[in-house]
Amino acid sequence: MSINTNEITLLLLEDDDIDAMAITRALDKMNIGNNIIRACDGLEGLELLRSGAVPSPYIILLDLQMPRLSGLEFLEEIRQDPVLDKSIIFVLTTSKSDEDITASYKKNIAGYFLKENVGEEFLDIVKMLKGYWKIVLFPEI
Amino acid sequence: MEINDAQDARQKMLYSSHLRGFHWLILSLSVILTTAAWFVTTEQVHERAAERFERESLQVIELVKERMKLYEHALWGAVAFLDANKSELTDQQWKDYSNSLQIDRTYPGINGLGVILNITPEQRNSFIETQQATRPDFSIHPTHEESELWPITYIEPALSNEQAIGLDVAFEHNRYTGIKKARDSGLAQLTGPITLVQDAKQTPGFLFYAPFYKKGMAHDSVNARQSSIEGVAYAPFIMYKLISGTLAIDKRLVTLEINDNGQGLYNDLDSNETAEIDAKPLFTDKITVDFYGRKWQFVISSNLSFRKDSHSNQPYFILASGTTLTLLLLALFIVLSRASKQALTYADDITRELQINAQHLTKSNQDLEQFAYVASHDLKSPLNAIQKLVNWISEDCENILPDSSKEHLALLKNRTIRMNKLLDDLLDYARIGRHDFAPQELDLKATAHEVFSLLDHPKTFSLSVTEQLLLIPKTPLEIVLRNLISNAIKHHDKTSGHIEVLYKEEHGMHHICVKDDGPGIPQALFDKALEMFQTLKPRDKVEGSGMGLSLSKKTIEHYGGTLTIESDGVNGTSVIITWPMASKTTK
Repeated sequence: MSINTNEITLLLLEDDDIDAMAITRALDKMNIGNNIIRACDGLEGLELLRSGAVPSPYIILLDLQMPRLSGLEFLEEIRQDPVLDKSIIFVLTTSKSDEDITASYKKNIAGYFLKENVGEEFLDIVKMLKGYWKIVLFPEI
Repeated sequence: MEINDAQDARQKMLYSSHLRGFHWLILSLSVILTTAAWFVTTEQVHERAAERFERESLQVIELVKERMKLYEHALWGAVAFLDANKSELTDQQWKDYSNSLQIDRTYPGINGLGVILNITPEQRNSFIETQQATRPDFSIHPTHEESELWPITYIEPALSNEQAIGLDVAFEHNRYTGIKKARDSGLAQLTGPITLVQDAKQTPGFLFYAPFYKKGMAHDSVNARQSSIEGVAYAPFIMYKLISGTLAIDKRLVTLEINDNGQGLYNDLDSNETAEIDAKPLFTDKITVDFYGRKWQFVISSNLSFRKDSHSNQPYFILASGTTLTLLLLALFIVLSRASKQALTYADDITRELQINAQHLTKSNQDLEQFAYVASHDLKSPLNAIQKLVNWISEDCENILPDSSKEHLALLKNRTIRMNKLLDDLLDYARIGRHDFAPQELDLKATAHEVFSLLDHPKTFSLSVTEQLLLIPKTPLEIVLRNLISNAIKHHDKTSGHIEVLYKEEHGMHHICVKDDGPGIPQALFDKALEMFQTLKPRDKVEGSGMGLSLSKKTIEHYGGTLTIESDGVNGTSVIITWPMASKTTK
């Protein structure tokens, strides 16, 4: 099944405005015009997903430290959701903690990235995403 | 292990702070030994006294026996004299005999020595007449119913025995029975207790008879003796006089009482010297001895002198010493246990204080680390945001901004990077205690080169490392090596340099030395170099958080090692770290 990469939505769960801006800027810089939806915390993210505001196919970029519903709690919820449990999720956080890394992978995330490691202006992660969704097969949601 | 040792020591102290079974055992043994020693000594003392009493008793009886034997000899001497005398005995002859015998000196205790003749009632008058030829006062008295007469005919000394002259001893049962027994047996015999007529004090006494028979006649049977009896030699005795002399009270350690068939013959109680008599004698013995036809019962009791002589303080001394020793032991045990108890209480108090202090310290250390961790972590996010915003401004406004503002933005960027580094190091520092890394096999040379290659350094710097396989926690060693090598490069005063990592093993410790050929550190600044946030040069000249050395030091010390600086201040610096061998670090 081939998908037009332009149709892929990027759901950004990030409480930090500047980090969110950095992602947006990086996408702009790479001339990627995909649809970006941003939620400020896990709860808002879940609501958006469940209300159908996020069109499939989508990729979730998840921060761990967030108010109300943290990244790990969001993962817990979504993996129990019969519809959303197949979502592709990347974690992008400042936490180097082994516990966080392990807990996240146990919830079947597609990758764990440290904000400080994804290159100046988050360009590396955007490059990675661009490459990733060019070749990856998406689940039916 | 240390905790166990301390617990053991505490248990021992707790154990010794109570009087235990073996303490009581020792005390009981002491009491038992004391009692036994006391008992044995008492028994010995008693036994010695008993032996002595027996000896004393026998001696008294022996002395009485000896006396009686002596008197018997006197009587048989008199009998021999009478037998040898061919003519009729006269008063004068008897007097002479007695005088030459010197009876009062030869036979102390004797009251006199006399002759009693046996006559028939028919011979009475002619007998009196014969006697009156020399002694006109002579008469036979008193009268009685018996068929024979036994008048005391001669007695010396006559003066003290005057009342006895002419006394017919057949008048009274004891005297008569005694004399008949002597006659029939042919042996010396005693009478039962009587009161002598010549004794003004009327005290008990007795007569001692030895029979003599008609000359030339056989007296080998009772009948023959009865028909041939002539008379008896006799001696009267007053008992207390017999006893006084060799048997005087003050010469004995025993009180004496002599009975004859239940009748009292002698009793010390009757004498004037009763001071020595013991109301409750230690020993009393009754011995019955056959004495010339009589049975004399000697009742012998120990007296006060005996009590005094046989008294021994030894048992009491032993008892007192033993008891004192036991009490001293008890006191010693109590003092020891109390000392242990006090020491224990003291130690417990100190331990409790220390524990509280340690808890406080651990808590505040944890708080501090937690704070450092949280602070540095939370500070990073806004800093990252600032960094990004600065970048965006520089990018977006590159054509608008004047050069000075661009320079300021560059400085701003530089400072945020420095602060980022500072926070990273602070995070590392706070994390040291949060995770214990297990020792693992690693190649020192490979590890050092890997660290070296990851460091941003000019190509003109080189590194040489001792080849060595180590069993050591990898991550902490990497942190230390990274900081030390990075310092060596960063603080080098020349554009090229050589860094050596040397290894040796000493006293069960790894010794790793990171040596450079840089400018060195003056000795006065060694301490400063190890302090947190201290840099020896302005940060604008040499980029640094000032935490490298202190971070390394804390890391090493966390694993039980040490870090020291060696430098002459001119020719390079050596940082020497020691690290315990893995076997010793396993907890």
